[in-house]
Order: sequence, then C-alpha cells, then structure tokens
Amino acid sequence: MGTINSALSVTTGALDADQEALNVVANNVANANTTGYTEETPDWQENAPIEVGGISIGDGVTETGTTSQRDRVLEERLDQQQQLASASSTRLTALNNMQALFTPDSGSSGATAGDIGSDITSFFDSFSSLESDPTNNALREQVLSSASTLAGDISGAASSLNSQSAALDQEASGVVGQVNSLTSAIAQLNLEIQSTSPDGDAGTLEDQRQQDLSQLSQLIGINQVTTENNGLSITTTSGQLLVSEGQSTQLTTGAVNGVMDFFLGGTDITADLASGGGQLGGYLTARDVDIPGALSSLDQLAYGISTSVNAQNNAGTDLDGVTGTPANPLDIFNEPAQAAGSAAAMSVVMTNPNQIAAASAGNGTGDNSNAVTMANLASRLIVNGQTPINSYSNFVSTLGATFTEVQTENTAQTASVTQLQTQNNALSSVNLNDEAAAMSTLENSYQAASQVFTLLNSIMASALNLGEETAVT
Amino acid sequence: MRVDPSYITNLVGSLDGTQASEQQLSAELSSGVSITSLSQNPVGSGENVLLLNQIQQDDSFTQSSNLVTGQLQVADSALGSVVSELTQAISLATSANNGTLNASDVQSIGNQISGILDEVQSLANTSYQGQYIFAGGKTGAAPFSTSTATSPAVTSYNGDENVNQLELPNGQKIQLNVPGGQIFLGGGANSVFGALNALVADYSSGTVNTQQAASDTAALSTALNYVSQQRVTIDNSMTQLTAASSAVTNEQTQLTTAQTDLMQADLPTISTQLSLAETQQTALEDVIAQLESTSNNLFNKLQP
Repeated sequence: MGTINSALSVTTGALDADQEALNVVANNVANANTTGYTEETPDWQENAPIEVGGISIGDGVTETGTTSQRDRVLEERLDQQQQLASASSTRLTALNNMQALFTPDSGSSGATAGDIGSDITSFFDSFSSLESDPTNNALREQVLSSASTLAGDISGAASSLNSQSAALDQEASGVVGQVNSLTSAIAQLNLEIQSTSPDGDAGTLEDQRQQDLSQLSQLIGINQVTTENNGLSITTTSGQLLVSEGQSTQLTTGAVNGVMDFFLGGTDITADLASGGGQLGGYLTARDVDIPGALSSLDQLAYGISTSVNAQNNAGTDLDGVTGTPANPLDIFNEPAQAAGSAAAMSVVMTNPNQIAAASAGNGTGDNSNAVTMANLASRLIVNGQTPINSYSNFVSTLGATFTEVQTENTAQTASVTQLQTQNNALSSVNLNDEAAAMSTLENSYQAASQVFTLLNSIMASALNLGEETAVT
Repeated sequence: MRVDPSYITNLVGSLDGTQASEQQLSAELSSGVSITSLSQNPVGSGENVLLLNQIQQDDSFTQSSNLVTGQLQVADSALGSVVSELTQAISLATSANNGTLNASDVQSIGNQISGILDEVQSLANTSYQGQYIFAGGKTGAAPFSTSTATSPAVTSYNGDENVNQLELPNGQKIQLNVPGGQIFLGGGANSVFGALNALVADYSSGTVNTQQAASDTAALSTALNYVSQQRVTIDNSMTQLTAASSAVTNEQTQLTTAQTDLMQADLPTISTQLSLAETQQTALEDVIAQLESTSNNLFNKLQP
C-alpha cells in the first residue's frame, strides 16, 4: 500500500514536472520574437531516493526551474564590436556631410559653382589677363569679381563646416540623456539580480540587463566587469566609473569655449569619450578631430592668399599713382590677424578697381610688372609651404582618403558584428523546431505518466477490493 | 550544430546592399560622371584639381594673347608707316642736296619734310584703346611733343623706358612694347626726330649748306635702319605669341582628354556592373520569397 501510494505520488510528480516543462516551452514560443529574450530550458532534478527496508527506491523528478541559454562572454564580445561599429558609422555619416561640401568639379561644362579649386585658378588668372592691358577697367573689375567669388566660396565652406560642428554638438548632447537613463536602469537591475539570484543566472532580469547593456554599448564605449553576487560594474573605455553595484553616476554636459563638453562627477572626460567608441565617440571624433582639421586647412589657404596678395598690392602703384602705406593700405582682402578663423571671415574690402596696383612702385601706371608678380603668387609657396592649388588638392585628397579609411574599418567591424550576432542568435534565440521537438517529447512523456497513473489506480482498486467482489473500481 | 533562426534578416540586409549598389551605378550612368564624391577616388580627386587648374590657365592665356595680338599689330603697323615716311624724307633730302634746285624748291622740300615730321610724331603718339603704346609705362599722355622755340626745333619725350612683358603658362616672357624714347630718340646718334628737325632747319632758308645737309641726311638713314631694327622686336613678339598660342592649345587639348578620362563614367563597364547587380538582386529576392513561402518549422508538420 505504502509503495503503491508512493508510486502514485511519483507519477503525479512526473505529471506536474511535465506540465511545468510544457509551460516553459509555451513561454519560449510566445517570446520567440521578443528582442533580447533568451531561450529557457527546463531543469530536471531527480528527487533523493527513499530507504525502505534497506532498499533504495527513487522518488521521481521535480522541475526545479529554468536555465537561460546564454553566453555572457559572447554577449560581451558582441557589445564591444557594436561599440566600434557604431562609432565608425556615426563618424562616417559626419565625414560624408563634410565631403559633400567639396564635390569634385567634373569640368565638362565650365567650372562647378562653388568649386574652390577653380576659384583659386580664376583669381590668379585674372592677374595674368591684367598683364596684357594693365589700365583696362574691365580687366580690373574682373580681378575684384573673381576675388569676391573666391572669398565667398571659402567663407561659405568654412561656415558650413561650423554649422555641421554645431549640429554634431547637439546630437552628442542628445545621447547623454539616453545614456543616463540606461545606466540608472542597469544599476536598478543590479540590485534586483543580486538580491534574487546571486549565485546563478537571473533569467528574465538578466535578459533585461543584457538588453540595456547592448543599447548602452551602441551609445558610448564601455568596459564591463563582473563583480561578486552576479553584480556588474560598468566603466567608460578609459576607466571612469559609470555604474557600480546599485549606484549609477550621471553624465553631465557644460559649454566650454563654445562647444559642449562632457563631465562625469566633476571631471571633463570629453577627450577620453572621443576615443572610446559608441555613437558618442563617433560624434566627438568628428566634432573635435575631423572638422577642426578641415577648418585648419581652409584657414591656412585663406590666410596665405589674403596676406600675400595684400602685401604685393601694397608694394605697387595703382592706376591713380597711389602706393599703399601702413596707415592707408591698398588691401584687396580684409587682412587677417592670424590663420585661425580667417577662412570664415575672408572677404573682399576693395571696391574701386583703380586701386589694384598693376604697376611696380614708382613706375608709370601703364607698367604691368606688379601684375606679373601677383599672377606668379599662384606658383609660390604662400600657403603653409605649398602653392595655393597644391594645398587645396592635398586637402581634398586627404579628406577623401580619411573617409575611405573609416569606411573600410566600418565594413570590417559591421561584418564582425553580423558574425557575432549570428553566433549569439544560434545559441540564444528561440528555435521553433527545437521547441516543437521538446513539446512532442513532453507530450509523450505526459501520456506515458498518465498511463502509469491509470494502471496504478486500477492496482490500488484491486488491492482495496482484495478478495471481495468489487465495490470499488 | 545550432543555427541562427533569424538568418533571413541577414539576407534582407544583403538585398539593401545590392539595391544601394544599383542606385549608385544608375546615378553614374545618367550623370556621365564617375567620381561624384571625394571618397570614390581620393587621389583622383586631387589630380582633378590640378588638371583643371592647368586647363583653366591655358584657356585664360589664349584669351589674353588675343588681346595682346591686337596691340602688337597696331604697333607694327605704325612703325611700318614710319619707315615709309622716313624713306620719302630721305628721297626728298637727297634731291635737295644735289644742288640742282632753286631756293624756293628747297624751301618747299623743307616744308614737306616738316609735314613728314608731324606725321611721324603723330605715329609716335599712336594710342590703342585709349593708351599710348610708345610711351613706356606712362601710357596716360601723348609722349612726344615738338618745341619750335629753338632752331633746329627739339622734339622731347615724356614717357619712360618701361618694358611690359606677358608671362606664358610655361614661365617664358614675351615683350609687349618698345619704349618710344628708344625707337625715335635712339640715344642721340640714331635719333629720328633729331635728324628730321635738323633737315627742316637746313632747308628753311632756301640755301643749302651741302656738308651739313649731307651729314644730316646720312643721320636720317642711320635712324631709319635703327627704327627697322626696333620693329623686329615687335615682330618677334608676334611670332613668339603665335607659337606659344598653338603650343598652349595643344597642351589644353591633351590635358582635357586626361581630365575627361579621369572623371567621366566608363559607360560599358558601368552597364555591365549594373546588369550584374540587377541579376544578383533578382536572385536574392527569389531565394527570400522561396524560403519564406514554405512552412518551415516543425510545428506545422506535427499532428495535433
């Protein structure tokens, strides 16, 4: 009797275990398309055997919980690659906007409007033309108008770059809010996980935490450090603490020298963030490295041309017989004080074409030798050790090459992300075929257990009715 | 071996890739330009800037040389007329010197030579588009004027010795003018005006001092040769200019071809690439459709 009862309880235990396992399968299938959900498998535990009369008898099975199919190391590697891919693709977008300002001139039907290279050539060519007839008013007007076009296009490009920088500033600041809410959420999850499952995988809570980590690593470069009791510390790539156990530190922003800087605690970590990865790293690299580099090249170009041309014009005699002096200079461009900022400020200040000094100082106004010298500035090393056109040519090549370099990196990183993602999905995503097979197995097992139950039930009835005509069936 | 259940997402990603590639190729085909952004060919973009620079410079020179040619031709033509006038003056002086003419005839010759002097001075004061071309650098005012306060009269030059040059794209320089002082006052011994004024004075009274007149006529001959030599400088410039123009035009043609090769789309290659991309796209779409249409998990196959 006792053994039949215990057999019955073993069977009911089996039916319960199968039912719970079926619940797990149903949960998996229901969450097959949930982002970040990790497939769970039921844990079977054999119950401790019972000693009866010196004989060990098994006591059935219990379903003790579920195990999430997760590889923490794989997920961390995936996060690291996403950081890199995210940073390079953000930077690539910014570089693309930059290079769009300097589209190559196809040259098929005259110069492309706004092409700085052809503006430089036209400007110095206007002096070459002036050589042939230095007193000609139309040719003098041509000098001033090509100067205007050049100054307009250079200052236009510089001001567009400045606008792009301001836009990147805004976008970078926008990321901060998202980062802060994610770090707070992770800190909260840390506490919950540490209290509910300090020794093992935390299941759904861990799913959430990994999901938050994945999003965070796309925004900002992070390092993850597992601590005791299933806790997690998060630092930036260069080591500043973002999350420690249940505490999260908020990123703040503040304006420094006209751009947005980023602070953690009281420390300015902008430079570290730029090299750290994630979207924020991409924005900051574009804002603090790429754009200033381009502006510096344009500034050198504007400064070199403006100062050299002005100086040469003041070394000659204009059509009215006047020579420029320091007190009353004959400047064509506004004279810049230093290279920085000279591109955005480049403009033509001369309005009277008579003031172009085609003649050398002291010569008659029909002399063209100063115009010859001014035309020859085009082949002198007046822009930071290069000729103006070589300087511009090198500038566009370098910008294009930087883009190509980042693009190559990004392609490799994206491919790596795809590969890791596939590996991770293969391990952790719900595979409907597996669930169907599991369901089928559990169904059979349930049927078998209930058959055993029916059998035991009839044996019990026989035992109860031992020797008697059946009153109990 | 486990399998990524969401691999179809990757295939769709590839589909985006082929579509992007198709768009890029179609844009190149329709615009005819192969390099639409710096990153497509960074080195080529840099070269393109330099090629266009040269082409533009050559173009600008061609236009300048047309302007300058006009001026040189006017100078040449003026000096040609001067040579004719001086030849006539020498012929008149020679006939006056042979002693067969009477006083009034001699005086008449004196007047004719005076008329020739006025004509030569007017030619020396030639202007082209408002600028005096034989004034050196002081092109704003007529350079030559004659004062009859003394006898012989004195023609003076108010221009300067400035010589303008036009620089070619290859750095060579072409002389654009010869200063009037150099041509017509030629350092005393070769002075056209000096000789003419002297002859006018010689014949003004009607009586000819044969030795003086012969010496002055010889001086005028020397001056005429000198003017012819100066004219050669102008002619040389014109020749150099023509040669330079044709060399520059040739260079411009070659550079334009190089630049076109660099920038223009290679239509056959693009058409082939476009057709490949389209094929790949169609194949991908078919595969995806096939995979998604069949019921592809075990649940559909299990008996309820």
